[in-house]
Amino acid sequence: MEIGKLTWEFPPRVVGGIARHCEGLAKALVQQNHRVHLFTLDFPGSPNYEEMDGVKVYRASTELGHPNFLTWVLLFNHFLTKRMADVTSTIDFDVMHVHDWLAAFSGISFKHYLKKPMVLTVHSTEVGRAQGLHSPDSFSINGIEWWSMYEANRVIVCSQSMKNEICNHFNLPWDKVEVIPNAIDATKYQISVDNGAVRQRYGVGWGEKMILCVGRLVPQKGIEYFIRAIPAIAKRYPEAKFVIVGEGWSRDILEAEARATGQNNKIHFTGFASDREVVNLMTSADVLVVPSIYEPFGIVALEGMATGVPVVASKVGGLSEVIEHDRTGIFVYPKNPESIAWGIDRVLSDPDHAKWLTENAKEKLHKAYSWEAVAMKTVEVYRKVVE
Amino acid sequence: MGANNSFRSQPDEQPDQLRLLIMLHNIGATETSKALTIQQISEWTRMEASELQMHLEKLIELGYAQSFSSDKTKKYHLTIDGIRKVLSLYS
Repeated sequence: MEIGKLTWEFPPRVVGGIARHCEGLAKALVQQNHRVHLFTLDFPGSPNYEEMDGVKVYRASTELGHPNFLTWVLLFNHFLTKRMADVTSTIDFDVMHVHDWLAAFSGISFKHYLKKPMVLTVHSTEVGRAQGLHSPDSFSINGIEWWSMYEANRVIVCSQSMKNEICNHFNLPWDKVEVIPNAIDATKYQISVDNGAVRQRYGVGWGEKMILCVGRLVPQKGIEYFIRAIPAIAKRYPEAKFVIVGEGWSRDILEAEARATGQNNKIHFTGFASDREVVNLMTSADVLVVPSIYEPFGIVALEGMATGVPVVASKVGGLSEVIEHDRTGIFVYPKNPESIAWGIDRVLSDPDHAKWLTENAKEKLHKAYSWEAVAMKTVEVYRKVVE
Repeated sequence: MGANNSFRSQPDEQPDQLRLLIMLHNIGATETSKALTIQQISEWTRMEASELQMHLEKLIELGYAQSFSSDKTKKYHLTIDGIRKVLSLYS
């Protein structure tokens, strides 16, 4: 098939999970002999066209800006559309696959212009991210999300909980929405890592516990509750060090929260880390904490499972479908520092049990979450809309 | 962080530095070739030059922006960390 994909986020423009999802899926589709043309936004240092493992990547340069976010989104969609117009004159697409509302304007235009079907993957919703609609922009984004789903021939989500969320919130027909889970390339996580050197880089010495938290520094990731759990963990494990990986607008607030714990000398904010460094960190850590309060899927938990680190995660959204409590990981209550501290202690206090959890997690991962399987299921959806 | 703020995907009232960072991103000052002078930024943001200077220096110190001189004029743009910080608001 000739597949057009539209996403505002694609490596090296990595913000959240969308970039990694699009990369994994696009490469797997190419491996299954489909041709993938991916349209995305430019990023400093990246070419406006390149082939990445067979995926043709077209980057649009946004030549006009505006301080207002929604105006800026409309402007970059115009430049995405312009970039696509150059390509569609020579390629007969079978299907246009849009990721999230941010690129939907271009996708919908091409659906009508080319008279081709459009598939939309909803990675999250405004009402979920914001836990409500609190501003005019939020209401507008919510409306655009509804409109995108209405225009799409089929909608894909990554978990049953997301299907429930969008069908309930947007009154979407149940049979219009397909659940296809996220995946990871497990081979990327099976690399040789000098654990001692990695730990040393982040100030974790021999015999000390390394407690890791990876995620964008935004409220939906619940990192503030992890930070509030630190005094209790530090009391029980005085040798523990806490490494928080990620960047985001609430970093200043979280750093202030860390200072208020009285344990700031044990807490390290690394900022953004490359994929490779995240693997190094996960492979070297004693426990990975995923304290999200809203999580459509939770790919970071899968990444942790692939590296063999025990995962302690809050039981929300897609995480509740990825992890089996006390079998492949440990569930804790969301927004509950005491529960998070309990979960971390459950892993650190019983290394044999922690090892058993990671062995089970790896086994489940290989069976259920491969990009090859995701690509095959996605092509089934494409075939339904093309027919 | 107060409990109420925890429920927001974005800050209700953005501190001036974050607001400036977002504006620089949305108006396109994201790499050397798109860098802007203080005067140009002032026109977009309606902030006084002296206030802007103070915020920009702080953003540079935090690693979210950088400056360089071109034809004796200082220009500013976001770093990759600065871009990622802004995009975290929307993803």
